[in-house]
Amino acid sequence: MPFRLCAAVWAGKTVAALSRMLGHRGSSLPGHVALRIYPGTLRALARRAKKGVILVTGTNGKTTTNNMIAQMLSDAGHSVIINREGANMLPGIATAFVRSAGVNPAYSFDYAVLEVDEASFPRVVEQVNPDVVVVTNFFRDQLDRYGELDQTISFIRDALRKLPKTRLVLNGDDPLVAQLGRIGPETTYFGLAPHGRVLDTSGASREARFCPLCGTDLHYSFYHYSQLGLYECTGCGFERPEPAVQGWEAVSSVDETTCRVVLDGRDFRLNLPTQGFYNLYNALAALCAGSGLRLEPETMLKSLYHYKPEIGRLQHFRHRGRPLYLNLVKNPAGFNESLAILLAARGSKDLYIAINDNAADGRDISWLWDVDVELLAEPDLEINRFLCSGERAAEMAVRLKYAGVSARKIGVEPRVQDAVGEMVRGGGDAAYLLATYTALWPTEKALSTMSDGK
Amino acid sequence: MTDVMLTVYHLYPDLLNLYGDRGNIIAFRRRCEWRGIAVQVREINLGERIDFTDADFLFLGGGSDREQDLMAEDLSSRRANLRDAFEDGMVTLAICGGYQLLGRYYRSLSGRVIPGLDLLDFYTQAGTTRLIGNVAVGISVPGRIVHVSGFENHSGQTFLGEIKPFGRVLSGHGNNGADGTEGARYKNVFCSYMHGPLLPKNPALTDYFIRLALERRGRDGFLAPLDDGFEDAANQVMLSRLKIL
Repeated sequence: MPFRLCAAVWAGKTVAALSRMLGHRGSSLPGHVALRIYPGTLRALARRAKKGVILVTGTNGKTTTNNMIAQMLSDAGHSVIINREGANMLPGIATAFVRSAGVNPAYSFDYAVLEVDEASFPRVVEQVNPDVVVVTNFFRDQLDRYGELDQTISFIRDALRKLPKTRLVLNGDDPLVAQLGRIGPETTYFGLAPHGRVLDTSGASREARFCPLCGTDLHYSFYHYSQLGLYECTGCGFERPEPAVQGWEAVSSVDETTCRVVLDGRDFRLNLPTQGFYNLYNALAALCAGSGLRLEPETMLKSLYHYKPEIGRLQHFRHRGRPLYLNLVKNPAGFNESLAILLAARGSKDLYIAINDNAADGRDISWLWDVDVELLAEPDLEINRFLCSGERAAEMAVRLKYAGVSARKIGVEPRVQDAVGEMVRGGGDAAYLLATYTALWPTEKALSTMSDGK
Repeated sequence: MTDVMLTVYHLYPDLLNLYGDRGNIIAFRRRCEWRGIAVQVREINLGERIDFTDADFLFLGGGSDREQDLMAEDLSSRRANLRDAFEDGMVTLAICGGYQLLGRYYRSLSGRVIPGLDLLDFYTQAGTTRLIGNVAVGISVPGRIVHVSGFENHSGQTFLGEIKPFGRVLSGHGNNGADGTEGARYKNVFCSYMHGPLLPKNPALTDYFIRLALERRGRDGFLAPLDDGFEDAANQVMLSRLKIL
């Protein structure tokens, strides 16, 4: 091991230990330090993967998909390196390796499974040569304005062109993702067959309007949500590709989501212990990647059946027998999906929405007006209380009020601790807590302390 | 309360339905309805036959390049009609790309000049850095100056000719980051770089627009006061952060 790499790894490990002692989550600093000492750290350590490097990118579902793949591989007996949630830019990814790497040059592992921020993707693949790249979806994020999404996609496309040996695992239902399929030597798609969920095409985003390849109108025969669905270009003939891994007859209930899926030519049932159709997409992505790595269908499905959601991914708490659900919201597509879960649930509810506008959340919160909040004004929904929290709590209250929610039901409590307390004591059969990124941790912490637990 | 029905034209919502701009339509409509003023919102799509002089309130948002080109093409065929409506006092809110389009031209970094509709006297020059962030603007409405907060994100820098600004920058960049002006105003046409939900959290502005629309119809512009607790709180959070009293 070259001296500088050795020094970089040691320094990184020392920083990691120090920051743990200080109680920081600081998941990017060790990698940052290591890269400063030796810029080739990441490149050198990533080469130690014996069987392969898998990168997961896209707008929503990166963390979940990545963790699902890592869990499957680990359940199949492989040693795996993974980055911590959110630490998905260059320093965070370097941290994952530094943390796991020994200074012994013979140290190696089977797989590195890494979620990568979309904008950082081109820089990451300059250092790490992936065997498989999984792309979940491309949605307009709160930071995205004036075609920045188009630009991000084009950078990823250019980066993929420089990786002629990388296999691609793509969401075939998303035309923005599926357009990348023409690049790789081997591309497999995952997707979801039309199912019984009510369609609302009015919620379809602008991304669904035009073909990403030729700009002509796209024709849809079915929408799942946003631009995901069964599409066909009326101009160049670009259409939803036939998925290698497809979910059928999807059903979501209060505590599980299931569908049929054909793997290795055999019919299986995929059971996920969580709500939300978007989680099916994450699981199908993981199955598609896992199949490519020759994992046994039974092993993969068992892994998914025991999958534990990450913090804030529809995390389940309980207090005096009453369930409380915590979910991250960071863009209109994800927020609408959270609302869909709420709309499908029976019984009376309390709803908490915490909005921060720090850099990690996006400083511009205009996107709240692109969320279909109007659905919450439906009186049959039995939402007793709407409590807004976080630094921009009042603005969320304005959004609810103009959506038609009765002002009497709306409360503003910017202090997360107090707002969560009110939710824990709330009167509804269940409580739903939605929070943007930086509001998620304090909400989770308050919930863990105040409720009876998970 | 009043027998008048106000007509809102929302231009190209299927093309420009992003950036939270629809918050402005929602706010105008709700604040009318809460006072018993009937409102109809017409969503206008490309090529649709319309007469701008029928509208009381017109909203024109921004989009990405492709959408903006489509919008410019469609509007240039309606230029004379739009000018008549402006002269007639139609209340208009034009944001970002919609704002720039009403001016004389847009000059790109390479020096290429893209003509605007040339209805208002200003031009826009592409800048090298984007002007992004929270912004506070002092805007005069009859009898007082209101402190409005919003969010701007634009690379074009606009310079006004013989036209008044919409307001004065209290914090943030405004039209060009240099001369302290924000937006533009001609008759009842209001232009701004404050995108997204400008009207919801600035109710004084919304009510001013409603009043102008009613008065143009020859009605009494008196509006019953509403409880604006949430709106004022939302605005105050940002004004305090930007240290505006």
